[in-house]
Amino acid sequence: EASNEQSEPDLSSASGKKVILLPCKNPPSRERVQLWLEARKQYKSLQNGR
Amino acid sequence: MTTLTRQDLNFGQVVADILCEFLEVAIHLILYVREVYPSGIFQKRKKYSVPVQMSCHPELNQYIQDTLHCVKPLIEKNDAEKVVVVIMDKEHHPVERFVFEISQPTLLSISSDTLLSHVEQLLRAFILKISVCDAVLNSNPPGCSFTVLVHTRDAATRNMEKVQVIKDFPWIVADEQEVHMQEPRLIPLKTMTSDIVKMQLYVEERAHKT
Repeated sequence: EASNEQSEPDLSSASGKKVILLPCKNPPSRERVQLWLEARKQYKSLQNGR
Repeated sequence: MTTLTRQDLNFGQVVADILCEFLEVAIHLILYVREVYPSGIFQKRKKYSVPVQMSCHPELNQYIQDTLHCVKPLIEKNDAEKVVVVIMDKEHHPVERFVFEISQPTLLSISSDTLLSHVEQLLRAFILKISVCDAVLNSNPPGCSFTVLVHTRDAATRNMEKVQVIKDFPWIVADEQEVHMQEPRLIPLKTMTSDIVKMQLYVEERAHKT
């Protein structure tokens, strides 16, 4: 069971409260990736046209 | 059968290497299957003897690598309780959470000849489950993004400090908005038990995504 307390990991120290962390930076946006993809397609088609 | 402590053979490092390599493949596959990024950036590769989809976008790949480089010291010290891939809507509210719940035994009983192939078999099953999970999940709204959360202890965060500076990749404590999900539906995907690590993967899906 996903929330079974008995399956909790044996953390190396019992002291210290639990925290949830995440990266401060964001991953590239979908729009940015889409632009990169289109530019790459154009570059490849230009290369093939040579 | 041999019984070892975590210090023997630097086993924590071996486990962290195996898990981070697996998590990298899993994150790429989740982003592909859940259509967070255009399918055109993904290429078919073979990992764990099965085909997977991996991004070829340099910035995204670097982001995933930097994320896992920072998580690795926590896994090595058995201080990462959960690694969670969160897919968020345009308003940055979670719509899906892929939760990798990790548990490592304090004492390791291993039979080294079968160890790695057995773990690879188990991890392959996770990959296969992720690749078909769209069948049991509802579609996500357009314009989703993602982040990775790690559940750890306050005292353990010092293990990450060095790598954060080296990689110029700082981490912060998550806000309630990034963690809380209304009425989540829980979908268990896979559980594994091996000599070196226990792991379960489940998805928490928001009931109303749009």
